[in-house]
Amino acid sequence: MKTPVRVVLGAFAAGASLLALTACGGSTEAGAQADSGKTVSITHAQGTTEVPVNPETVYTFDLGVLDSMTALGLEADGVPETKYPESLAKYNDAAVAKIGSMKEPDFEAISNGNPDLIIITGRAASSYGELSKIAPTIDLSVDIKKPLDSFKEQAGKLGQIFDVETKVDEQLAAIDTKIADAKAKSANAGKGLIIMTSGGELTAYGAGSRFGLIHDVLGVSTVADIKSEGAHGESISFEFLKTNNPDTLYVVDRDSAMGTSGDAAKAVLDNELVASTNAAKNNKIVNLDSNAWYMVGYGLNNTEKMIDEVAAGL
Amino acid sequence: MSAPVLSRSAAAEQDPAVAVRRSKKPSETTWLIAGTVLVGLLAVVSLFVGVSDVSLPRLLAGDPEAWDLVWISRVPRTLAVILAGTAVAVAGLIMQLMVRNRFVEPSTVGTVESATLGILVVTVLLPAAPIMMKMGVASVFALGGTALFLAVLGRLPARNTLLVPIVGIMLGGVIGSVTTFFAYKYDLLQTLGNWMIGDFSGVLRGRYELLWIVAALTLAGYLAADRFTVAGLGADFTTNLGMNHKAIMRLGLVLVSLISAVVVTTVGAVPFLGLIVPNIVSLLFGDNLRRAVPWTALFGAGFVLVCDIIGRTIRFPYEVPVGMVMSVLGATIFLALLLRTRKRHA
Repeated sequence: MKTPVRVVLGAFAAGASLLALTACGGSTEAGAQADSGKTVSITHAQGTTEVPVNPETVYTFDLGVLDSMTALGLEADGVPETKYPESLAKYNDAAVAKIGSMKEPDFEAISNGNPDLIIITGRAASSYGELSKIAPTIDLSVDIKKPLDSFKEQAGKLGQIFDVETKVDEQLAAIDTKIADAKAKSANAGKGLIIMTSGGELTAYGAGSRFGLIHDVLGVSTVADIKSEGAHGESISFEFLKTNNPDTLYVVDRDSAMGTSGDAAKAVLDNELVASTNAAKNNKIVNLDSNAWYMVGYGLNNTEKMIDEVAAGL
Repeated sequence: MSAPVLSRSAAAEQDPAVAVRRSKKPSETTWLIAGTVLVGLLAVVSLFVGVSDVSLPRLLAGDPEAWDLVWISRVPRTLAVILAGTAVAVAGLIMQLMVRNRFVEPSTVGTVESATLGILVVTVLLPAAPIMMKMGVASVFALGGTALFLAVLGRLPARNTLLVPIVGIMLGGVIGSVTTFFAYKYDLLQTLGNWMIGDFSGVLRGRYELLWIVAALTLAGYLAADRFTVAGLGADFTTNLGMNHKAIMRLGLVLVSLISAVVVTTVGAVPFLGLIVPNIVSLLFGDNLRRAVPWTALFGAGFVLVCDIIGRTIRFPYEVPVGMVMSVLGATIFLALLLRTRKRHA
């Protein structure tokens, strides 16, 4: 009973990977052939891995890496199953191989696709062991304790792997200029608070958090020393908002990240206590693009976009 | 058989409160008043817990900002806690009587899971739907889920103490997994998490008033209390007393489902409450529902008040959701109850 099913599945998978191969051929062929055989040694969060220069078939679970690759004119051949924001909309296409969810790799699909390089980050970091058995795997997680340095380092590694180091340096220089501009503005902008709204409730994020770029890199001063460790913030009440009285309120609307109503956060924040804060009085409630901040994160294009959003509110 | 005598004396031995009530019957009213005063005190404490500065001197001085905070934030939160605590505990009690099983409550038989599935369906299909509509859909789903449980239960050949909650938990698990699947598919898992963990941190004036509906429902439950006791004894027994068993069951079903749906839509699921409070009350005061309802309501309100106060102070100025505090406290108390029950039977 089982064998026929397997054969069919196998044939299907083979067909799918053939499709993926031909699809990617057009974009990376030239570079791939030029550098065939060369490797580069990449030190990453979970060790050191020999990676082929200009790998032909690249799978990644991280939308930030995907964003950087797009910025560098590269394409990934396998991506996680999710709803892609506009900047990465081409990966919504069913023709692009889907390799599991952002957190849980589909090992069978990955194995069948024979990738030359797999790039993972925090969400899929725990699968490093299994994935590195399939293909060279590197963990390019951005360390949120020192986001900018870490991001630059990871971008630099992408530059090495794809032999586009000058391009990466140019883009990083452009980001540095934007950061300097934002910093000049933030010095006189008062105190800021980052919150996420989800299901009618508020979570606050501070320096050193996943949205810490605002405080750590762009220099917006904090209203309170929020010690949220890792990816999750602190649950707060509206009284916390009123008492800490931020001059600027940065809002990530978790419920709109999922394509429901974009006004979810507005409805949650429409109350008397929020209205009494300086941020509301001075019209400084900045709605951050939840796709950019929550889904994509650090990428060469997206980081610029995030900085622009913060700077526009300063 | 001597079993009833044995168990009664054992209960009286273990529980001074029971013995006191037996010897001096009129004092129960006094106890009720004392309990009400205690819950009242907890409510006052709850009013003065919060991030902003609302102190008695400021209030007495007539500080308008402090009074604003009291009316916008403190009073609504305390009221919401009391209303939800009362209603969920009483809903658990009604449910336990209807199916004659002590280990059953809306969150262990799929009612809460169904309500959550309902909210999820509305959120996906009609994200901009008004809250009343979300609540309506949640209620319909909760009704369906609870009815399914009762129907499955009616078909079970044997109804032993453990089988009933196991069937309920299984059913809840099936419904819960459907919910999780769709939440995953529409990337709503985090929102789902917020619904499933009761949290009063979002309560403000204008955001909790729906809970007054459950106050009315709880009152209805109190008025119909004796009927649920009778209905729990079985269809034949109820019919012999000249009552409509189906109608009573339907009433209970509607009350429990509506209460669960309203509470889930306004503050989220409140676990364990409907399970442990009625059990404590029954241990202390016996099984007369009419008498147990006020006690259950009081204990329910008091328990949630304590949990919410803990949740607000333990990581001040941040909060820990009340559902989490309640799970820790509730699980401990429930375990203690189970061990105690076993000791008595041994």
